[in-house]
Parts: sequence; C-alpha cells; structure tokens
Amino acid sequence: MKKFVWRRAMTMARKEVFHISRDPITMVFALVLPVVMILLFGVAIEFNPKDIKLAVSDYDNTQDSRLLIQQFGSSEYFVPHGSVDVNLAVKDVFSEKAKATLIIPPRFEKDVYNGRQAEAQVLLDGADNSTVGAIISYVGTISSLANERIAGFDARRPYHLRTRFLFNPELNSKWFAIPGLAVVVMTVLSILLTALTVAREWESGSMELLLSTPVTPLEITVGKILPYSVLCMVAVVMVYIVARTVFGVPFVGNYWIFGLGCILFLICYLAEGLFISIRTRKQQLALQFGMVIGLLTTNLLSGFIFPISSMPKFFQYFTMLFPARWFVDIARDAFLKGSGIHDLWEPFLALLISAAILIFVSVKTFKRDLEP
Amino acid sequence: MNPTLRGFVVKELIQTLRDPRMRFVLFVVPLIQLTLFGVAISTEVKNIRLAAFFESKDFVTRDVYERAINGKWFIPAKSSYTDPYKVIQSGDADAVILTEPGGFTRSLGRGQAKIQILVDAINVLQAQSVESYLSNIIADTVSDDLKIKPRPRPIIFDVRVLFNPDLDTAIFMVPGTMCMLMIIATLVMTNNAIVREKEMGTFEMLISAPVTGTEVILGKTIPYLILGLSQFPLILALATLVFRVPQKGSFVMLLLATTAFVLTTVAMGTLISTFCKNQSQASLAAFLFLFPAIMFSGLMFPIENMPTYVQWLAYIDPIAYYMGLLRNIMLKGGDLYYETTRIGALLVLAVVSIWISFKRFRTTLG
Repeated sequence: MKKFVWRRAMTMARKEVFHISRDPITMVFALVLPVVMILLFGVAIEFNPKDIKLAVSDYDNTQDSRLLIQQFGSSEYFVPHGSVDVNLAVKDVFSEKAKATLIIPPRFEKDVYNGRQAEAQVLLDGADNSTVGAIISYVGTISSLANERIAGFDARRPYHLRTRFLFNPELNSKWFAIPGLAVVVMTVLSILLTALTVAREWESGSMELLLSTPVTPLEITVGKILPYSVLCMVAVVMVYIVARTVFGVPFVGNYWIFGLGCILFLICYLAEGLFISIRTRKQQLALQFGMVIGLLTTNLLSGFIFPISSMPKFFQYFTMLFPARWFVDIARDAFLKGSGIHDLWEPFLALLISAAILIFVSVKTFKRDLEP
Repeated sequence: MNPTLRGFVVKELIQTLRDPRMRFVLFVVPLIQLTLFGVAISTEVKNIRLAAFFESKDFVTRDVYERAINGKWFIPAKSSYTDPYKVIQSGDADAVILTEPGGFTRSLGRGQAKIQILVDAINVLQAQSVESYLSNIIADTVSDDLKIKPRPRPIIFDVRVLFNPDLDTAIFMVPGTMCMLMIIATLVMTNNAIVREKEMGTFEMLISAPVTGTEVILGKTIPYLILGLSQFPLILALATLVFRVPQKGSFVMLLLATTAFVLTTVAMGTLISTFCKNQSQASLAAFLFLFPAIMFSGLMFPIENMPTYVQWLAYIDPIAYYMGLLRNIMLKGGDLYYETTRIGALLVLAVVSIWISFKRFRTTLG
C-alpha cells in the first residue's frame, strides 16, 4: 500500500472546495437549509395539542351535563360543538370533523345525585397516533376536575405527591424537539452532500483522470470529507445560534464535548454518503439510497421522537447501527443535561467505531473499484 | 398512445429498471422499511428504567417500587451513583422515587406523608406518561397497603379508542410510512430523471428532435407514474396481510386516492426539476421539499396546532392529504365528502404543478 501523503489529500480537498464554491447554490443550500428547517419546525412542533374538536351529544341536557361540557370547553384542550343525535356526533369522527366524541346519557344528573355512578362516554379517533395519548391524558385531568366541581367529590389523598421534571421542568416541546431535529437535518444534509461527489466524478469521467494520478483512495476519501465537514460545522454553529436565541433552548453542557461529538458524527455520515457514492457510481441511485437511508431511518429510529427504550429488544440493538441515534444522545445531553464525558463514553465510543468502520469500508471499496 | 410517446416511455422504463440495484431500491427496500417501522416503533412508552431510594422499614415505598417493576411499563435501573439527580443525569434511570427521611410508611401514619418522583423530562412525551403511570401506581399501592377502600368516583368516563382499540403500533405507523416510501420513490426519481438529461445535455437534443413539448413532459412523467403505482400493490399486500391493517373502505376509492397521490408527487418532482441545473442541486431541492413534507404529515407530531402561517404549508403537503385519505379509507371505512375533497385537493396540486412546469420549460428552453 502506498503511503498516505497529506499534501495530496489537501490538494484533493482544495479541488473539492473549488467545486463547492463554483456551485454557490449547493453552498447556500447547505448553510441556509438547516437554519430554515429549524426555524420552521421549531415554531410548528408542539406535542400537546390544544383546541381539539370535540363533538358532544348531550342526551341529559341538565345543568350538570352542561357543566360537564363546560369542563371540557373551559380547559384549553377542547373545543366542544353540539350534535343532538349520537350517530351524528360519532360520524364527525369518521368524517374528520372531530377528534373525539363525548356522549352524555340521559339520567346523568339523576345518577350523580342518587349516588349511582354516572357514566359519560368518550370515543376518540384512534387513527391519528399523534393525538391519542394526549387526549386520553386530558380526559383523565378533566375527570378529576368534573368529580370535584360537579359532584363535590373529595379526591384528596392521604399523601402529597410531588413530581419534578428534570432538565425540562416546563415540559417544553421545543426544548425536547430542537436538538434532535438538528441532528436529523444535519444527517440528511451530510449524506446528500457526499453521496453525489464520487458518483458525479464517475459519470462525468473525471474519475478516470484521478485514477491515473498517484493519489490513493484514503487521500481521496480524506480530501473529499474534509471540506464538507467544515461546511457542515458552519451549519451546526448557525443552528446552535438559532436554537439559543430564537427558541431559548438552554445549553448546559461542555462546548468541547459537544464539538467533538459533532465532528465525529459528521465524519460518520459524510463517510456513509461517500460509501454510497462509491458503491453506486450513479447519481440517481446514490440519491435514492441516500434519501431512503437518511430521511426515514433517522426520522423514525434515532430516538428523535419515538423513544428507543420503548422499542422491542432487537430493534434497540438495531438502532445502534445508526450514528444519528448516538449523536441525539450527545446533543440532548449537551443542550439540556450537562453530564460529563464519563457518562457519555458509550455514544462517543460508538461514534468513533462507526466513523472508523465507515472510512475503512469506503477506502477498501474504493481500492477494489480502482483495480477491477 | 402515439408511437413516439410509447417509445419514450419504454426507453425511460428500461433505463431505470436496467440496474438491478435500482430494482432493489424500488421494490425491496420499501418492504424492508415498512416492516422495520411497523414493528420497531411503539407509541406506548415502555421499558422505563426506575430506581427508588427508601429505607428498609419503609414497606409502602418498597411495595410501590415492586408493583411498578412487576407491571408492564417499568424495569429496574442499575446505577453506581447514590445521588438521585446524578442517577438520572447519567442516563442510568428515567425516573427515581424519593421519600423523605424517616420513610413514607411512617409519615403516612401521621397523615402528612410526602413522596417525590424525579422524571427525566428530556423526552416530553415519555415524561408525561411516566408521571401518570407512577402516580396511579402510588395511589393504588397506598390504598391497598393502608386498606383504604377507595371511594367510587361519582362520575366516570368510559374512554374508547376507535379504529385501533389496542393501540396497535402497526395500525398507527404503517399507513403513514406507506405514503413516505411512495413519495420518496416517485418524486425523487422524476426530478432526477429530468435533471439528468439536462445535465448531460441530452435535453436540448430532445427539444430539437421532432417531438412536441407535451410528449417530452409526458414521456418523462408517465414511466414514474407507472413505477409508483406498481409499488403500491406490494406495499398494500404487506400492510394488510402481514400487519393486519384493516381495509374497511372501498378499494376503488383507495386506488383513486393512490393514483391522485402518485400523480401529484410526479408532477411536483417535475416542477422541482425545472429549478435545478444539476443532480446535486436536484437532490438538495428534493430534500428541501421532502423533509418538511414528512414533518408536516401528522405522523411525527399533531399538525392541528401549528401557527396559521405555518399551516398553509400543510395545505400543499401531498403526504398530509394522502395519509389522511389512507387512514380515513382503510381504518374508518371512508367518508365520501372527506375523500372527494382531499382527492380533489391532490389533483389541484398536480394540475398546478404541471401547469407551472410547462410554463417554465417553455421559458427556459423555448
């Protein structure tokens, strides 16, 4: 094997920089896109829905039943609208005009006063996964309120329970979502940036030229990853500024730890993109692979929204293959928790191993390709 | 179909399907991914690592902890730390139960008991579930241990989840992932096919050839329409046969909705391609479109509460329409008004995108 020469790698890197700067649209995309995405979704993401449309069918029509509806309406969670007929109210869920139906049977008030259990029914739209959990827990809250206010039920317990929510005391959806979102955006961006570089060289024929020079696969790999990681780091800094200033996400961790994690994570995905590119040699195919791997798996399997610990055992191990899953841990820790490196050795080790494997595999495949 | 157009379509299909890897990405990868997401993701929070700090005589707290561990949500946490805050910060536990000095059991007897839970709130959704699980477990244990017969609540709610009573993950996730897999294939491929010709300079050749602009556009879009539609039976079979996602509504409606969706994604792919000069731009543009489209689809977080100025983005999101349609048709059995308006909206998006693409092709190449 030929020796690794820094000068040649740097020449490759310089060539790649020319490439990027000649195509300003790519550069603007790479720098502006993450910021725009974070702004857009930072504003939009809210996991606790409000003003849920509630179709009400009140067969009792008494003071108490109206009071019950009022309990729903005066919470910020529900906006009730009345239907006389229960079938119409339920139909609203089928035709997406309501997310839930409240059915108050006749004799509701009588039951409350006679000490029989008065039962109201709530039917909710189980087709929409994003609201089911929240609605169930809202109904629980409203149930306690209704018992206390309508039936004068003393729900006091013989003890006092205090819950402390650590690291995000107000359960702010944005604090939770933004660090993970940034990871997902950066993952896809870095895969896409490199996924096309080698494929483009093969398609345009300049790879043949490169092969006739003394440059080695490792030098090409390093030379291609280096400029893009600088570009991505700039994007990360911009995302950081937006998260801190616009959304007020705290940053309690150590900048060095976060920065180191960041570099490892970017190298992983730039190398993965490069690997896809080397294997496919065609831009269209490389793109398809990059999208399929980057977009969906990182969105759904990185723990960004759906917690990994709730997955079946096999898939908990499976997610370990995705560097994004580890960096989500590091990023959340750096922004919200601030624990030391000794608590983060696992994700760091995993990122280090992934980066090494991905670079090794890229270089190896490259070599085989060069000497068919 | 006229022979020029037919030739065009056949050429495009051959060019795409020639590569076995492309066939793999188009027809096998979506099935793998659908399986993956249908099985892996759980919307219910489980395997919560719980630690408890209590004195040996404090049997109520011990009972709380054991009841939690024996239930289906919690597993015991292992940690080398003795500071409860550090136990959570280090990621060793998701929740910790703490009692005051002297123990929960003794203070319960005196009527002024306090018990505290610390919850890792990095994941807001998980934290809320953990709190409600634990507060119920504590309430039940205390009534059992103190032999308090809980007084029945005068008003109770009978809560039923329609369409998915067991909160089955596959029923939640599979229709959603179906849309995403299909849009990735169609939109990205159409977009790329056109940009590739532009980049290689063959597009100019096509323009100078005796084919009309319409034939070029149709010849470039119909193949991907066919490919997109041919993915659908595979994905649907997996969803209904393996994951037991119900198909309650009309099959014709389902096909109509799918055709409208694929038409829209292909049209949008064409539109995006008019803004791109080379394939790297095309890929970034596709990402720029797809990422928000996936986020605003309603699979990741509720879209009802977005600020109105963001909501209009959801109005041009074909995934949001199609996911709504799939859920409405497959799970609910379909509501005619809902179906027709959403399919109509998809078609409007398709027509507008194609119309703008035509305009742009004329000005850039004419």
